[in-house]
Amino acid sequence: MPEIKVTPLGAGQDVGRSCILVSIGGKNIMLDCGMHMGYNDDRRFPDFSYITQNGRLTDFLDCVIISHFHLDHCGALPFMSEMVGYDGPIYMTHPTKAICPILLEDFRKITVDKKGETNFFTSQMIKDCMKKVVPLNLHQTVQVDDELEIKAYYAGHVLGAAMVHIKVGSESVVYTGDYNMTPDRHLGAAWIDKCRPDILISESTYATTIRDSKRCRERDFLKKVHESIERGGKVLIPVFALGRAQELCILLETFWERMNLKAPIYFSTGLTEKANHYYKLFITWTNQKIRKTFVQRNMFEFKHIKAFDRSYADNPGPMVVFATPGMLHAGQSLQIFKKWAGNEKNMVIMPGYCVQGTIGHKILNGQRKLEMEGRSTLDVKLQVEYMSFSAHADAKGIMQLIRMAEPRNMLLVHGEAVKMEFLKGKIEQEFSIDCYMPANGETVTVTTNPSVPVDISLNLLKREMALGGPLPDPKKPRTMHGTLIMKENSLKLVSSEQALKELGLNEHQLRFTCRVQLQDPHSDTDTLHRIYTHLKSVLKGYTIQHLPDGTVMVESIVIKVSSSTEDPNTKVLLLSWSYQDEDLGSFLSTLLKKGLPSGLC
Amino acid sequence: MEETEFDDILDDWFIESLKTYKDLHVYQLEHPTQVIEWTSGKTVCVAGFTSSKNEILELRLPLKLFADENKGLCAERDFKVVHGGFTDAPVRCLRHIPGTRCVVTNDGLSSDLQVWDLGGDDSDVIRRTGSVDGSRGVSEGGSRIAARLSSQPQVLHGAESAGVRLTQLTSGQTVYTLETDSADPLSSLHFVSDAVFLAGCSNGKVYIADTRTSAAPQLSPPPPSSGESVLWWTDASAGPSCLDPSSCRIVRLSSCGQTVISDLRNPGGAVSRAQLDVQTRRCNADDVRVSWAPALDDCIAVSGFSGAVQIYSSSVWTTELQEAQPLFEHRGHAVSSQSDDGVPVFVTSHVWHPERPRTLLSAASDGSVHVWDWVDQSAAGC
Repeated sequence: MPEIKVTPLGAGQDVGRSCILVSIGGKNIMLDCGMHMGYNDDRRFPDFSYITQNGRLTDFLDCVIISHFHLDHCGALPFMSEMVGYDGPIYMTHPTKAICPILLEDFRKITVDKKGETNFFTSQMIKDCMKKVVPLNLHQTVQVDDELEIKAYYAGHVLGAAMVHIKVGSESVVYTGDYNMTPDRHLGAAWIDKCRPDILISESTYATTIRDSKRCRERDFLKKVHESIERGGKVLIPVFALGRAQELCILLETFWERMNLKAPIYFSTGLTEKANHYYKLFITWTNQKIRKTFVQRNMFEFKHIKAFDRSYADNPGPMVVFATPGMLHAGQSLQIFKKWAGNEKNMVIMPGYCVQGTIGHKILNGQRKLEMEGRSTLDVKLQVEYMSFSAHADAKGIMQLIRMAEPRNMLLVHGEAVKMEFLKGKIEQEFSIDCYMPANGETVTVTTNPSVPVDISLNLLKREMALGGPLPDPKKPRTMHGTLIMKENSLKLVSSEQALKELGLNEHQLRFTCRVQLQDPHSDTDTLHRIYTHLKSVLKGYTIQHLPDGTVMVESIVIKVSSSTEDPNTKVLLLSWSYQDEDLGSFLSTLLKKGLPSGLC
Repeated sequence: MEETEFDDILDDWFIESLKTYKDLHVYQLEHPTQVIEWTSGKTVCVAGFTSSKNEILELRLPLKLFADENKGLCAERDFKVVHGGFTDAPVRCLRHIPGTRCVVTNDGLSSDLQVWDLGGDDSDVIRRTGSVDGSRGVSEGGSRIAARLSSQPQVLHGAESAGVRLTQLTSGQTVYTLETDSADPLSSLHFVSDAVFLAGCSNGKVYIADTRTSAAPQLSPPPPSSGESVLWWTDASAGPSCLDPSSCRIVRLSSCGQTVISDLRNPGGAVSRAQLDVQTRRCNADDVRVSWAPALDDCIAVSGFSGAVQIYSSSVWTTELQEAQPLFEHRGHAVSSQSDDGVPVFVTSHVWHPERPRTLLSAASDGSVHVWDWVDQSAAGC
């Protein structure tokens, strides 16, 4: 039976790294290649030994597809392509291709320069890896080779995030990556057509969550900023120069206007440059309504938000500053942090995940004393706030997506099966489809029922329809006789004669002959007649003829009688039949070997 | 309503909320719930009430709500579905049996109860484990349910005053039956102590009975000026301030907004009254909730008349029937609902947090569930 195999790479129950292998129609595809941010050793990389014990992966993979730029989805990509070895195509959307190398380089710097690690990819490796990238546009079918095609769909979540549809022949799989079903301020909701894939692969992590509204998260953000400003404190917001920063800026601007606030808001110049670049990427990647908002509101035409100069950090009084980089691991945001950390009226708001080894990560873990360069200690007295703005689907979102795509099977990765029984039951009940939940490292085999389209020649169809009774019975399948010709990628069913003609072959007739010896004292003619009578009584319902030329015919089987030269009582029966009457012919020869019954006249 | 107009209103309310709420969380369930029931200090059960298939969910409240010291470092704002199960009938009433992992439900179609096991760490499925028979001969309406901590899990239930019974869950045995002269349809049942309970009837009567005796229950007649078609809902204050059951207070609320507070020592009399400002939509017996705050003195929450939950301080009420203004109004459901069919949203249920003084959960007909911690902006009061 045709089947699709899915294996999430990773060990045990760990969540936090996405790397899924799919085998479909003889093709092997790697979906995402994430780094596990919680480990410091080789456990942070996916275990590629599943693919091959040693050596490069090129021969074993037809392509690699990356869903979006978050490190838990692409962090191990340069390691895989340059250190383990893979030279085939790596597919991702244009924004992902633009942003990935920047995040990877930042990540590399932190890991190698700050933590002094050695078994890690280099800057050059990141560059070499990105050379293998083939960018994707939304809703555009891309032929990876003759048989494998892929198509990207909008996933929401972050800039450039895509869900991907993979098709080989008539089998297909959709991988969601991370997505959200409720639109965001700057991102739309995920969308896919009713493509009916054999399997829909998604994360289970958010399936048992019911998300607090975006507005409440924003409210918390505004409340914290406002409270700090009101007590004369300074607020630092370290950001990566992308949609999130812009979104928070718009939010603050609206709020400042509404509340008639006077405290200054700044964004650092590093942010400005990068933001400009991504601004252009945004335009094609968001929907009409959002595009309008961004076009109307030019990034640098905020009424209340101005460009930052580093001397401003020493100004007295309240202020809000957006600065890069996002994890406080270097640069301007770290400089500002050092100046403001000692005052408890101040606040730092971390709007996203921070990698281990960064200051951001340390303070989010409650560390209040930090060791800085030159052995100096920094006392962290300011308020630390961790806010999550990322857009993810939840329990309801998964159901909505299944309704949209109508998969034949559901597969959830990164969950504990025992904790997912309810969701599994819910999906199975509502959609009557199977829901699989492989553990990391476990392979799930899903049997598919692909349809194989075959053309049938009109003549053959007409001929077969003429056979059988006057009334066709649609419920009763009938066997039909024909020849299947496979030419290039098409299949055709034709009659045998037509097949022979098309193939330029001669038709051959196959006949079997056998001799049976009988003891019979009668004359040849009489023996023949006796055989005729015998057969007529045994083989009722068959056409048996006694022909004037001295043969008996049963259907197409010819029986002749002659006497043996040595002994006239020994008769030799010659039986001859065509291939089509093989069964009957064998039966007759066995029957006649038994001799003729004595009671015959 | 124009989308931008709608967004503006939302914005105004949200911006106002910065000062009026300490915490605010807004969720959207797939299907609306009529029940919110605490199953632990951090988990609640909700359930659907459509006529066919429904889900019962046990939700864990967001960690951020409880992270008092390191609140800033906790970014978790979401509900976690910790257990879930399916039922073929609506869930109109759901009660947790204290000290167990058991809940009991009623579908509003008969007086029988369904018994469920919420499950532990080894599974996330809520399973049906049995049923409890209700009284026979009940004409309409479902059962009300009450439970308190006891060595043997027991459940108090009934659809009418005559026939309220206390059933042992494990054996199915009835250990007590309430006998009243008339069979009045119930709107609620409450334990005020281990043995004393109140049966609040929709016609305004309140029976006070003791499960240890077979003596006739005390009857508190309906408040005066109660008309024929007026429905009444009741709540009894219990808990540490109620060590002496006779010092418990009963609040009765009518479908016209008339509110009467009595003392168990004098159930026929009225300690104070008020006329609440409730928009009178056509209420069903199932819709309205009135509840005493467990950790605030004299505070009452009211919902079901509209898309708002109102908090009143009864400390300023007198025996004279006067109009009372709410101390606080949670309008979140009305403001953030986008009802397609033009039917205004109304609040289906609310509960107070058992310990956090001003934290409530509320659910509405559009499937929304809010968790809110309001700020008391009045000088005096709760």
